[in-house]
Amino acid sequence: MAQIENSSGSSRQPLVSPAADATARGRWRALVLTDPIHKLVRNAAHAGVDDEEYDLRQLAMAAVDLTVASMGFAREATLEEVVDTLADLAGRMQPGEEHAPQARDVAQIVVKGLLNDAHDQRRFSYTYADLADPGAVRFDNYSFRLLSLRDTEYGPVLVASDQAVMLFLDGLDVDIEDAEAALAHVLQRQLDDERFDAAVRTAGLAERTSLAMSATLTDLLDSTSRDVRSHDWLVDVPERLGRARKHVAGRIAEDDKTLDHVQSGLDGDVSAAVRAASGEIVDLLRRAKRIHLDLHDRLVGAREVFLTAQVRQRLARRRRLRLLAIGEELFTPALTLPADAATAVVETFADRALGVHVPRLARLDDMVDLLWAPPRQREAPEPDVEDPGADDLTEDVQRYPEAVLRAARTVLDVTRTAPARLSALLHAAAAVDPGTVDGAVDDVVELVLLSALWAFAPDLPTDDDEQTGEVDLLAAGLSAADDGTVLTHRLARGADLLVTAHIPGQPATQTPAQTPAQSSTHSTAELAAAVPAEGGRR
Amino acid sequence: MTLAQLDLTDAGSASQLIGFGLTRGARPVDGSDYRALLDRYRTDLRFKDTVDTIAEGLGLEVLGTPRTGLVLAPDPTGPFATRLADLKTMDAEEKLVFGLILVALAAYAYPNEGDLDDPETKLIDVVKVDDFIRGAIGGLAAIDAPDGSTGERARTAADVYADMPSLIPTQQGRRKLGCTLRAIELVCGWLVEQGAAREAKSLGPDTFQLTDRFRLLVGDSAGSEALEVLRDARQAEVSA
Repeated sequence: MAQIENSSGSSRQPLVSPAADATARGRWRALVLTDPIHKLVRNAAHAGVDDEEYDLRQLAMAAVDLTVASMGFAREATLEEVVDTLADLAGRMQPGEEHAPQARDVAQIVVKGLLNDAHDQRRFSYTYADLADPGAVRFDNYSFRLLSLRDTEYGPVLVASDQAVMLFLDGLDVDIEDAEAALAHVLQRQLDDERFDAAVRTAGLAERTSLAMSATLTDLLDSTSRDVRSHDWLVDVPERLGRARKHVAGRIAEDDKTLDHVQSGLDGDVSAAVRAASGEIVDLLRRAKRIHLDLHDRLVGAREVFLTAQVRQRLARRRRLRLLAIGEELFTPALTLPADAATAVVETFADRALGVHVPRLARLDDMVDLLWAPPRQREAPEPDVEDPGADDLTEDVQRYPEAVLRAARTVLDVTRTAPARLSALLHAAAAVDPGTVDGAVDDVVELVLLSALWAFAPDLPTDDDEQTGEVDLLAAGLSAADDGTVLTHRLARGADLLVTAHIPGQPATQTPAQTPAQSSTHSTAELAAAVPAEGGRR
Repeated sequence: MTLAQLDLTDAGSASQLIGFGLTRGARPVDGSDYRALLDRYRTDLRFKDTVDTIAEGLGLEVLGTPRTGLVLAPDPTGPFATRLADLKTMDAEEKLVFGLILVALAAYAYPNEGDLDDPETKLIDVVKVDDFIRGAIGGLAAIDAPDGSTGERARTAADVYADMPSLIPTQQGRRKLGCTLRAIELVCGWLVEQGAAREAKSLGPDTFQLTDRFRLLVGDSAGSEALEVLRDARQAEVSA
């Protein structure tokens, strides 16, 4: 300190005193840890619970005690159990009949306060003003939980945070092995002194500490079989196993001795109270012995678990080199990133890890088409009896304007009297007065061409293709034949088809071009890129 | 290969195999067409090339052929891409939590690179995964800031997750939206839908089995891509 004061005369004055500053932060923490309880007492007044009627602080302490008492056991304290017990305690604070309904409310207020329920069970958060730098003040955030909920197979259970344990149960913060040895001595002394109540309590504690050791070992083996590197099996774990083995061996011998001692004590002339307490101790010690034996079994199998896991994980044949240990290289670094950057990382991961998504809904434009199209009415197609010139065929035609359809139909009407060449039909179509079809002469030409192609190679698809609608209606009753003449037109080239309208009742059997063999050897008129390939499916 | 050399029946078979790969629930049982095509993919190099090429054209990549079938990874811009944000309406924090859970699932199930080649089925458990993530966050606090303070740092991903409570029960005793256990449940549900996991009801109500599909997607696609983004983010952080 002297050095600091000498180095610069103006700055680095201790805030209060050097000794006080050194521990200020730690003491501040211990102080704020109790603050949630004061807060819950204050807030309880709003809920109509009087501080003078119920000792809420004691209830809060009891809640932590109850929670800690069963942490790490196979069956931990459920929310329901803790609230019930607290309600009983609260009931004893105000024994009157009229107070009975309030006891449960009081218990709930205490548990909710410890869970920080008022703030969505988030962590309690307090700000520490760090004045170490004389020029500026720095505010540090300190967040902690006291109790939190965890889900188990028998419902939500309460878990106490390290801070809660440290603060409320500081006296239990001792080395497990040493505690066992000490407890054994204490028990011995208590039995000699006939202080049985205390003896029962300490025997209970001894059992719990043994359970905790067993649970720790189970966790260790679990994570080892998942990931060999999760624990240091070179130095740390063997040492722990060695300690545990020694401990089990010692405990079993010692427990037997204590059992002998207690039982031999019972042979003498003892009071009923001592007899009952001794009975409990005997039960406890027997249970503890079973736990020790169980722990022993695990210890014997531990190295085997490690070796199996090692063979499976570390010596497994590598098929590909990826250089990716997800936990160390991706997960941990992502946790330390600022929220925005981390979101980008995990989203990239998620989008790819979720795999293939096959679109199952119709796309929007499909849906709109489906919704707007008039209901279809072509239950049974009867192409032979349709008259290409009929006027009542327009309801299924959506693509081409009515005027274009009419013009195309007029052009195709020629074929009712005599077969016409496709080239002639195209010419006739091109010569249509633009005024009658809103200038869409090209559409007329296209429609005539498509109808001829359809007549040559009727495309009878099994699926109801929308686009063939107007074309097959116009081409119904038409047939076309390829006699080898070559067509050259700006929209199409290939065979100059001979188009005929067949009169109902007279089947068009004389058209040789309908056989598949012929249509595949001759190249049907190929459409230029401007025209959808309606007839070109073959 | 040129078009002239490509047999059209081969193209048909190749496309059929990709179709099987895209169909949820299609399994290459003995004697099925799928199995025959899969065997052909494994043994016939020309056929494999055809399948790979067609898949590439569709915006897919063949990651592997474990016993459960063809595993395809989508091109993120292609028609088969899955986006996390499309699965559920979520705000920025939720998206981060869901994403973190997916990464954590992979980290939990495949801690080493060797595990990504190990066909053994991995089991995950909703509660254990939550413990795993919170444990990792607790470990960070010890390394980063031994005094437990976050100081003036920006809110990190760990803070966002740690601030969300682990469990908020509903009246019916189920888990309510807004707690991390529910989020893990949802993510596992998505994985089941995507064929990346199976429910393992016999082993417990919250237990799921991860499939080979998830393993390959993580190992060969998601992991390295996310690592790229992570590297960029850290570079930006250092240079800032």
